[in-house]
Amino acid sequence: MLEIKNLHVEVGGNEILKGIDLEVGAGEVHAIMGPNGSGKSTLSYVLSGREGYEVTQGSIAYKGQDVLEMSVDERAAAGIFLAFQYPIEIPGVTTMTFLKTALNAQRKARGEEELDAVKFLKLVREKAKPLNVTDEMLKRPLNVGFSGGEKKRAEILQMAILEPWFAILDETDSGLDIDALKTVSEGVNALRSPERSMLVITHYQRLLDYIVPDKVHVLSKGRIVKTGGKELALELEKSGYAEYGADEAA
Amino acid sequence: MTDAIAQSFIDTFERERDALPGAGGWLAARREAAIRELADAGLPHRRLEDWKYTDLRDVLEKAAFAPAPAHQGAVLLPEGDAGSGAALFHAIDRHKIVFVNGRLNHALSDMDGLPEGVALRPLAEALEQDWAKAAIERRFDTNPQAQSISGLNLALMADGVALHVAEGVALDKPLHLIFLAADDGASHARNLVRLEKNAQATVFETHASAGAAHYFADQVTEVSLGIGATLNHIKLQDEAAKAVHLSTMRAALSEKAKLDSFTLILGAGVSRGQTFVEFEGGEAEAHVNGAYALRGEQHADQFCVVDHAVPESNSHTHFKGVLDDRSQGIFQGKVIVRPDAQKTDGRQMTNALLLSRDASVNAKPELEIYADDVQCAHGSTIGELDKDALFYLRSRGIDEMTARQLLISAFLDEALDYAPHEEARAELKALVAGWFEAGSLSAEDIV
Repeated sequence: MLEIKNLHVEVGGNEILKGIDLEVGAGEVHAIMGPNGSGKSTLSYVLSGREGYEVTQGSIAYKGQDVLEMSVDERAAAGIFLAFQYPIEIPGVTTMTFLKTALNAQRKARGEEELDAVKFLKLVREKAKPLNVTDEMLKRPLNVGFSGGEKKRAEILQMAILEPWFAILDETDSGLDIDALKTVSEGVNALRSPERSMLVITHYQRLLDYIVPDKVHVLSKGRIVKTGGKELALELEKSGYAEYGADEAA
Repeated sequence: MTDAIAQSFIDTFERERDALPGAGGWLAARREAAIRELADAGLPHRRLEDWKYTDLRDVLEKAAFAPAPAHQGAVLLPEGDAGSGAALFHAIDRHKIVFVNGRLNHALSDMDGLPEGVALRPLAEALEQDWAKAAIERRFDTNPQAQSISGLNLALMADGVALHVAEGVALDKPLHLIFLAADDGASHARNLVRLEKNAQATVFETHASAGAAHYFADQVTEVSLGIGATLNHIKLQDEAAKAVHLSTMRAALSEKAKLDSFTLILGAGVSRGQTFVEFEGGEAEAHVNGAYALRGEQHADQFCVVDHAVPESNSHTHFKGVLDDRSQGIFQGKVIVRPDAQKTDGRQMTNALLLSRDASVNAKPELEIYADDVQCAHGSTIGELDKDALFYLRSRGIDEMTARQLLISAFLDEALDYAPHEEARAELKALVAGWFEAGSLSAEDIV
């Protein structure tokens, strides 16, 4: 599904990622854990194509395509999705309008028929209910005035509607209380399938109790320094990131 | 010394004075005085603070407009011409009045069929009415420059309509004034609106070209609202790319009167829109809002003075604009709160979105407050499209052009939502959507 080879990335002239190798197979869920400043968010942004992240070496292949040659929206239409750590507020664009525009843009880019208003509304209602996203939220401008939990639920709703093949969850657990964490995790788990892969980026092990990964990678100072099974997350919870060169306080 | 361009207007006046409305009556002396004032002061220029950003003398001197002729032959209303401002509001049930080259076109207008208590007359026929005379003679002394430029119109106004709505009467459907330029040249029109106590009316204005390219449309509207009267007003300015548009609205509001005015500016090469509001009674409300979208070399200047002289009146002014290419936008606003105007609530805000490095905006919101128990706020923001928002939208598969349009529309919609008529508002939004499609929102513009 996704193959990253020797990826070096600079931001503003500083090398943040210093040679990442990562392979995620179809249907697999991989967790990336690491201390603050290790390059976790940089990895998520470079995968989704944000400006200002310069790839100086290496490659990213997704379903055999060169991701670095694709624009941000082409990547999305091809099925790469980033659930933001801090979802952006868009005043003046209702959540509903945004969802419809995004879904139909992707369908159009893939040569599929656009959904009419009736079919779309049915789809949104069906996906919104288990995530406790109310009609009232859907009518509000996207993320404007949403609580932290509402923003994360709205991100997962977008994912449920857009049905990507490769989803990156960037610190989706941050700012969530335990009930919201459960709701969001259930939403994510409902999307797990043999054809869909996920990269779950988190600082804490807690999220991985709910979204159980196939593999856990430790990222530190721009490199993957250890890879293991789900039990690696538990070890980290006990010992912290100190042995990977980060201050415990970080 | 009289400047050359003022002299050309004086010459026009000398030639046409005997044929202008009100010749031989009380207005003749007023016109004389106005033309003398113009001869002394000349046209406004950039050394006058209020005209700092729009040198009208220079603009008109370069353009050298001759007087627009009376149009010969038929004019077709561009009702079916999608994307043109002149095609707007035709689906709305309304009374339609059409001006061609600044002159009332009886064949295209519905002067009849108005409800009882509503009088609509050509300007020339209304001049002897007391209210019409009072409206024309009213001095808006808060801004002497406004006086001089409406003086040009006073001297040369050749036509217009006067709407009078009697006490307690509501105009049954909107009155739509359509100003079309069919031939090149300068035209000067004046409209009068008087709503008596508790009367209500909705007025739409459309300003567009019907074939002319190089013209000067000068217009003054006098609004006088009686106690408890309500005027809803929507103005669409979609003039030709090389046209010069100059309009002034002067409104006087009695106690509990309400003016709700919205302007959308898409057209004209150079335009200046002036609004002067004076409160004569308390608990009155004035909303003067607008939106503009400019590109190419377009230049649009909005100038708005709201004068609170009596207690407990509210005003709200909000203009939002987007500017592409090398266009220029100007917002100059002033809220005056006089010593007696306690409990005033005065708001003034302008926001601009620059889509190109070469576009520019000058904003000058001012407050002059002489009373102590008031709530006033003013502000201005000038920015560009939010890169994070663009990335977020694109990361969901929305292409760059669509993402930009979505954000720009969202920005302008906040202002368009002020338009005080639901169907008209929907048509204005559709017209703005068309503006994007016609435009040059290319990736090269991204800054």
